[in-house]
Amino acid sequence: MPGERQELMLRIIDLCDTVRKRGIDPFDVEVREFFDRLRELLPNLKKHEELYLDIQAVLGLADVVFQQGEWIKHKSSMLYLDPLLIMLKLHALPTRELADVFARSWHPIVQLETLSPHGIAEAKQYWTNLPSLEERWRGLDTTEVFTGEIARRELARMGILSEEDFAAVLDRTWRELKEAAGERGEISYWDFIHTQSFEETVKRAWLVSFLVSYGYATLELKPLEEEILLRPLPKPRELERVATFSVPIAISRDEWLRRRKGG
Amino acid sequence: MAEERDVAELREKLARAAQLLLYKHHMQPGAKAWELKRALGRDYEQILNLLDAEFDKLGLQVKRVSEGEASSDSDRYYATLRGHPRVTEARTFGWRIDDMAMLTVALAHILSKQGKAPLKEVERMLEEKFPRWRIESTLDRFIRRGYLSEDDEGLLYVGWRARAEIDQRTLLGLLLGKEEKPSEAEAEPKVETTKVEEPQRD
Repeated sequence: MPGERQELMLRIIDLCDTVRKRGIDPFDVEVREFFDRLRELLPNLKKHEELYLDIQAVLGLADVVFQQGEWIKHKSSMLYLDPLLIMLKLHALPTRELADVFARSWHPIVQLETLSPHGIAEAKQYWTNLPSLEERWRGLDTTEVFTGEIARRELARMGILSEEDFAAVLDRTWRELKEAAGERGEISYWDFIHTQSFEETVKRAWLVSFLVSYGYATLELKPLEEEILLRPLPKPRELERVATFSVPIAISRDEWLRRRKGG
Repeated sequence: MAEERDVAELREKLARAAQLLLYKHHMQPGAKAWELKRALGRDYEQILNLLDAEFDKLGLQVKRVSEGEASSDSDRYYATLRGHPRVTEARTFGWRIDDMAMLTVALAHILSKQGKAPLKEVERMLEEKFPRWRIESTLDRFIRRGYLSEDDEGLLYVGWRARAEIDQRTLLGLLLGKEEKPSEAEAEPKVETTKVEEPQRD
């Protein structure tokens, strides 16, 4: 029964929506009958959802009554002509005659464009400041530089290359994680990545993302406790057999400061 | 002496009114009632009636388009052709016959549906006579130029330019094969007024 009630209300809402959006004759809607049905239903409506649908249906029917008023106004105006008749004419008339109808009812707007004194002043300013073509086309002074060699240590000093191999860094982080998780086998994500500097914290978060992605550890989300747990695995897991999903974790400086203050 | 001064002032106001209506100074052509009132004074409507009489000699007219029952400061005035061009002349304005026919179909359909009709419905009607790719690009152009307007729900309305340029009653009358009545403006110079009942938008 509740399903039937909801269905009726949804049908009324949909019908009213169609009248509004598709421009169909609002007098095709049995407004009075629908109001009677809604009145019968009202005492049986208990859930909020049902009451909300009832309100929507009543508002929809009120809108149909408004559309009926507009329809009468339109029908009584000089512009009213039977839509069906118009449609038949539009189908029957050849393109040239349709164009002729347009031209005979058309009074195009006359409009001129001109430069205002302000526009002229701006144009003058632009012309004065514009460098000559020769100046603009002049090539940039460049010096040819031959390729050279650079040492790995030098690249590391510039921050382009890490002195440590990435795999080694990941392995070290995995071992740290296992150590931090201890016998419990798990540790809070934030506890593990948090360090004294924001940059280092971001770096650890980045490394953890690789540990999880490559199957060295798992993440457990506890939305109610707002906690994320990290569990290191004794051996890397083959990911082809496991259903994986991505978890975006935002780390902002504010968040880092808040956690730092909170200890 | 005072009379000469009045005549000079009137001429100056007439020239100012013509400039405001003819030269484009906003995104839309023409001028709003409040702009004209500010530039010409409280009796701006009389000045516009005089300008309309002057325009008549050139085959032009002053046209007011209001968006409600009563006139208001947001009504817009335009300078338009008093008569209408022939189809061959319209083609020299850059209009194709197909474009004119498509606009006629779209406008007539919208007007017969109480001023709003789904875009898809108009497209379906046009598809009987024109290829789909032409319809989409042409309707887009009509919307950009203000002949039609579209809302978020995909409903088409009569645009601001169509309200200013097209005599809707004549268009529907001609479609049904009625004789076109000479307008009052042709009998006696007078600012033509179009009152548009805006369809209810949600």
